[in-house]
Amino acid sequence: MNDASPTRLTAAGIAAVATHLPDRVLTNDELAGLFPDWSAAKILEKTGILERRIAADDETAGDLAFEAALKLFASGIASPGDVDFIILCTQAPDHVLPTTACLLQDRLGCRRDIGALDVNLGCSGYVYGLSLASGLIAAGMASKVLLLTADTYSKYINARDKSVRTLFGDGAAATLVAATDGGGRTIGPFVYGTDGSGGKDLIVETGGFRAPRCAETAIEADDGAGNVRSRDNLYMNGAAVMNFTLREVPRTYRRLLDRSGLAPEDIDYVVLHQANKFMLDALQKKLAVKDEKLPRRYEDIGNTVSSTIPFVLSDLLRDGKLSSGTRLILIGFGVGLSWAGAVVQV
Amino acid sequence: MSEFYQGMAEIFEVEESEMGPDFPLDEGWDSLAVVSTIALIDEVYDRTVSATRLQECKTVGDIEKLAQE
Repeated sequence: MNDASPTRLTAAGIAAVATHLPDRVLTNDELAGLFPDWSAAKILEKTGILERRIAADDETAGDLAFEAALKLFASGIASPGDVDFIILCTQAPDHVLPTTACLLQDRLGCRRDIGALDVNLGCSGYVYGLSLASGLIAAGMASKVLLLTADTYSKYINARDKSVRTLFGDGAAATLVAATDGGGRTIGPFVYGTDGSGGKDLIVETGGFRAPRCAETAIEADDGAGNVRSRDNLYMNGAAVMNFTLREVPRTYRRLLDRSGLAPEDIDYVVLHQANKFMLDALQKKLAVKDEKLPRRYEDIGNTVSSTIPFVLSDLLRDGKLSSGTRLILIGFGVGLSWAGAVVQV
Repeated sequence: MSEFYQGMAEIFEVEESEMGPDFPLDEGWDSLAVVSTIALIDEVYDRTVSATRLQECKTVGDIEKLAQE
């Protein structure tokens, strides 16, 4: 687009990030008691996770997103009345309908002349949320987008399925994506990826209309590897997901560098979806990124799905590591299968 | 001992002297071990192996053959 174009794109930037965790803690000791062949020390060594937070029975993703948004507003960066679009990324909505983001408009006291919608994506969702938010801003359709990510996979996980119960934790994040006033903050370029043929590899099969929940789908069975689950529960084919991740994440990283014309040394931080320690270790080797450029946050919260990247961003902000001009690559990947990456300058 | 067998010894948490082509894939060959093996093969041989074919392997030697195909 050149200066003669009738429309000018408005740059968007990440203005603030806040996070929220439920109170209940699930420790490795508790899990080791349920899964005798895995000690608490082995769970920590393999997953890198000491404990996860679990939503209460009556606590939803909408509640967690609400609390994260309150923390964002409490920081003083914006008030509910400033928000002109709400995007909530979740796979555990409060209801089938209405849209949880609409309920949050009311709960948060946001204006009624704004847009609100939910996005159904998992671990790639934060980057997709950023792309939608910055697209709305670029096109002049919004100026302050409240991007909420919240999930409660614990509600889908069978208590006796160690393959996923050890990894996932509940949590939420609120990110304010705002039009920038020429301060150098940018979001993009983006690269995307989708492979629905791997949909079966990370799935909660029932609860929609392809396979409605019923007594039969709730029948639990052992999968032969000592994990018990039903068709109503979350299932992950860890091997297939690992293969997909090792193939697509390095490719996404290279595509982002190509598209942005940047070299690896131009990037200050590579923030990957915080799946777990062994996956990040494998990806770090493939990307050849040093420890100090690959921040991590899973030890005390596990894999919080679409909120893992903003949890890392929140840590970097808190530690004063995101000074003006700091450049990051963000890459989310997971259920769908779906993946996306973005270059972000703060 | 090769990098592959060193890695497999780590995955099964046994001494390197105990690890070899005849090492059986029964006790400890759980989902985490499978995933770790995929990462190891990627690192050592720079290639991916199908999860289904990996699960058909009976010994560590079978995995080595699969990785070198």
